[in-house]
Amino acid sequence: MGALQTLFKRYLRKNLPSYLAGTACLLATNYLSVTIPGQIGAAVDVLTTPEKLSAIQPFVFNIAWMGVAVVVVRSLSRVLFFNPGRDVEYRIRRDLFANLLHLPPAFYATQNRGDIISRASSDITWVRALIGFGGLQSINLVFALSLTLWKMGSISWVLTGITLAPIIVGTVIVQGSIRSWYPMMKKNQEYLADISEHVLESLNGVTTIQGFQAGSAFIRELKLRNKTWFDNNIQLKLVQSSILPLVALAGATSVFLLLYFGGPLLENGTLTVGNIATFIALLAALVPYMRSLGWMLSTWQSGRAAADRVLELLDAEPDHPEGTNGQHLSEGVVPNIKVSGLSFAYPDDPDNNILEDISLDLPAGETLGVFGKTGSGKSTLLRVLSRMYAPKRGMITVDGIDICDLDIYGWRRKLSTVPQRPFLFSDSVKSNIALGDSDDQERLDKAVSLASLTQDLPALPDGLDTIVGERGIMLSGGQRQRVALARGLYQGGELILLDDVLSAVDHENEQRLVKALNNFHERSQPSCLIVSNRISAFRHADQIVVLDNGRVVQRGTHGQLIEEVGLYQDAYLAQKEAGNTDGTAPASSTSSQEAKNG
Amino acid sequence: MDKSNRHESFFREVLQLKRLWPFIRTDQWVLWVALLVTPLISMLALTQPYLIKVAIDDHFSKGDFTGLSEVAWMYLGVALGSYVLSVGYALGLSWAGMRMLVRLREWLYERVLSLPLSFFDKRPAGVLLTRLTNDIDALGEVIGAGIVTIVLDILMVAGCLGAMLYLDVELTILMLMCSPILIGLIELVRRQLKNLYLTIRDSIAAVNAYLSEQIDGVEIIQLFGGEDRAEAQFDVRNLKFRNASMESNIYDSLMFALVDGLSSVFIAMLLWYGSGQMGEWLGFEGIQVQSAGLMVAFIDYLNRLLTPVRDISQKMSVIQRALAAVSKIFGLVDEQEPMNLDGVDVPPSKGHIRLSNVRFAYSEQADDVIKGIDLEIKPGQVVAIVGSSGSGKTTLTRILDRSYTGYRGSITLDGVELSTCSIPSLRKQVVAVRQDLQIFSRSLRFNVLLENPDVSIEQAQKAAELTCADGFIGRLGWDKVLRERGGDLSVGEGQLLTFARTMAIDANIVILDEATASVDSVTEAKIQQAIENIFIHKTVIVIAHRLSTIQQADIIVVLEKGRVVEQGSHGELLTLNGRYAELVEAGKAAVG
Repeated sequence: MGALQTLFKRYLRKNLPSYLAGTACLLATNYLSVTIPGQIGAAVDVLTTPEKLSAIQPFVFNIAWMGVAVVVVRSLSRVLFFNPGRDVEYRIRRDLFANLLHLPPAFYATQNRGDIISRASSDITWVRALIGFGGLQSINLVFALSLTLWKMGSISWVLTGITLAPIIVGTVIVQGSIRSWYPMMKKNQEYLADISEHVLESLNGVTTIQGFQAGSAFIRELKLRNKTWFDNNIQLKLVQSSILPLVALAGATSVFLLLYFGGPLLENGTLTVGNIATFIALLAALVPYMRSLGWMLSTWQSGRAAADRVLELLDAEPDHPEGTNGQHLSEGVVPNIKVSGLSFAYPDDPDNNILEDISLDLPAGETLGVFGKTGSGKSTLLRVLSRMYAPKRGMITVDGIDICDLDIYGWRRKLSTVPQRPFLFSDSVKSNIALGDSDDQERLDKAVSLASLTQDLPALPDGLDTIVGERGIMLSGGQRQRVALARGLYQGGELILLDDVLSAVDHENEQRLVKALNNFHERSQPSCLIVSNRISAFRHADQIVVLDNGRVVQRGTHGQLIEEVGLYQDAYLAQKEAGNTDGTAPASSTSSQEAKNG
Repeated sequence: MDKSNRHESFFREVLQLKRLWPFIRTDQWVLWVALLVTPLISMLALTQPYLIKVAIDDHFSKGDFTGLSEVAWMYLGVALGSYVLSVGYALGLSWAGMRMLVRLREWLYERVLSLPLSFFDKRPAGVLLTRLTNDIDALGEVIGAGIVTIVLDILMVAGCLGAMLYLDVELTILMLMCSPILIGLIELVRRQLKNLYLTIRDSIAAVNAYLSEQIDGVEIIQLFGGEDRAEAQFDVRNLKFRNASMESNIYDSLMFALVDGLSSVFIAMLLWYGSGQMGEWLGFEGIQVQSAGLMVAFIDYLNRLLTPVRDISQKMSVIQRALAAVSKIFGLVDEQEPMNLDGVDVPPSKGHIRLSNVRFAYSEQADDVIKGIDLEIKPGQVVAIVGSSGSGKTTLTRILDRSYTGYRGSITLDGVELSTCSIPSLRKQVVAVRQDLQIFSRSLRFNVLLENPDVSIEQAQKAAELTCADGFIGRLGWDKVLRERGGDLSVGEGQLLTFARTMAIDANIVILDEATASVDSVTEAKIQQAIENIFIHKTVIVIAHRLSTIQQADIIVVLEKGRVVEQGSHGELLTLNGRYAELVEAGKAAVG
């Protein structure tokens, strides 16, 4: 079954009555539109016989009520056809978004985000256009075309053949070239995207552009891209504007043929003058329909392509190995985690194991440190633990249950994650921390203070209510990281996962935070997993594992590891030497780029 | 557009479009030609029915076929002529319209790039991007479907009215008497539609913005179990869009159908009145139109007059879109003046900077963030600024390169007051490396030289060597085109690249907002080396994050809440055993 049929079946059924009623109104509209001119003609005929002028009354009355009726049925037919399209658009978009929210990172890793957004916006619009306007036009066209053809044929099939030939040829040409527009239109979109890209990059780099006075180089580049777009677009416009009126020209050619060959046919008695006049009127009526036929066919075509793309997203499967009835852990109980022989590769590169035979225990209430260089697999370990990526069965158990069998939503409620890349929504600081949760002021204050965010509040125009702008643009990199940290702490889960976030706070506050994490949870001591390449983060860890190339190469406590020759000791000595000293936070832009490799 | 504007007359609003005039002026001849060609096109279109009438009346009806083929050929010729004219017309208007877009975009881009840097702090790049792309693209149809069509429609309505008056004054007056009903109804619908269009535009923008942001942050939503909340939030926006669209469908359909249907009612009135029956019924002596031809012609003109009125709702959405775009684009223009580039030219300087009692606030209402700073920096010195975040470090350096204007107190560069210097000449002397690495998706050569004509590739190579960037540049080649935001460089390499950029130009004063990133020890060493080399060659003000950087500084300034609390060399400050010593201790203690 084609994507379009699937969508129709899934979404349109509810609107079928509306379409049927719309079709009835459309029929009525068409009937009235054809009847009114006849009534006007009859009324005008009355005017030529002055003695019986009162005979005009019924015609006048008919024209007037039919006019009023047209207002009603025409409005209704359009509303009944167009509004279901809007409703379907709404429901498809709603379901699409809901599905997107549940798709795993593995899905997003293989998809271009711009493409996803264009499917959710412009492709859905195409489907809607097809369902609403397209539906109306299609039905209209079928009625009108078959009626006209039947009328023409009943006069003379020969003449119909002769006169239709140019119109058919013209329509085929138009249809063919409309198809050839698509590559050009696509290119046009690409060139526009090139312009956007350049503009965005200039805006993001405006400090450098002004500081280094490089404005003219950037203006030159914009002009270049503008010109590329212009040159392509003017070509497109040339094709478009010369092709579309071609149908009218074809119609005129038909009339020409009629005038040219009509004489002999009239002479040998096959046709009457009236026939010829009717034929001309029918041809004139046909031309606008043929014009919209070209558009219709292309709407169907792009609607079908769009439907394919929409359905693909709509039916993409979330990665839930536990099925519909995953196991729930008891609320408020800190879990015991056991990792045994964990090997893991990302789905898009299955031969490249990022984690190799990792075994570790995280008993309830303990703090585990994971140390390693960039690319050692630290962040991947966290992602597997939070099941952003599901491991193979039998490698990780939580309180004895395989992590793959846990209800995913229940499991994540137990986590407080602070990812390395601090993503903020364009909302207030407060909403970014509580994520729309009902305001628990006390919890909020605690999280804010633990994340050392208190120091930043005076500098923010509205304190916690400051709107942070797109991706938190109003905040500095460090502030962004501290908000993300506060968000994780606010969540108050039983397992705290910190991915290299301690660099967001200065050393004084770092120690305060590490200590506080140990007695943060009100009911019981949460477990804590800290990933970092900063030795200072591990001083209070119960156990530390050192990762290198996805393998555990060392394990022990801070005290043990600094005595043992190896990566940990090297880093310890180097960091003691260079020691980051002051109270500033590093830029997020730098660490966010590492998030992928980490 | 605010609410008070919403009820302004359509005409007054359309006048806003005149701000586009400077961008179309050079091509205005196209508009004039288009206005002249249109009557020609309609004339040719009207010739076609006439030729058919001739063919039927003079040839088919009379059975006289001599000369019929000439009429037929003439018909084809007229059709061809009108085809050529309409293609030229459409193409010409597109051409002029696109040229306007190109000019407007280039003008606005140049203007935005010359706005003061403080302006960008408050504006998300996304919003400015929309002004420069979507909003400008929305003006694409304004020339063709907008201005020219409006003028033509007005001419059409006026022409038809004139012809009707010529045919029969009394009938025309009758029609004019009926017209307020139609105009009133249309105006009512139009008002509704206008607000709805605004709602639709805003709500679809909200739908798309929300969608794209949630997709970007989908991992966070999943980690924190916010799926249901996001769905509900999305539904609010999606529903608002749907409802507004549906409502506008109703008015749209009504507008279209009203004109269509009411024209029949008007025709019925005409016929009734024209036949004298209306007068008879209402008891007055009206005219009696005897000529069927006159009535047919009158009805024909009436229909032609109403067509542009009927299609107004379609055109209105184009115009409304354009008007909204114009008001946003020029709203941006009106909001902020470009930087004032006038001032004293700063001569090449070794860099002697003196700050006395410098104070600064972001706005007049806000509290000072810099609260009286005195500092002297001698040529060639390295000054390190330390302090916790929010202490004013970055703000202070941004005053120095005049990213922020409006300081109080005095800052002099070689004795010249900073606020009197021309910004371009100042920035030749003072250059800043900020924490966010601004790397462009262009070649390495471009990224280092930034097409500065004063810098040769040899200089760039030398700068790269000094800043340890020659390693990866040599490996990738100067012509290597980088991915977006330097995606194919490591963070450390990106940092070295910006150092190289800074060393390549002639500025003698460098502001270094050192980025601390998690980099491996090899890169760390390279960055250290690069910074030391910069220290040797330039006067440097550095916001320092590394203990080693600070030790080499001539002066260390400890800032606290916009004030200098300590100042001196590393050794001096340690002996002082104050705030600085505390910071150093914390660093050491943390490692351990």
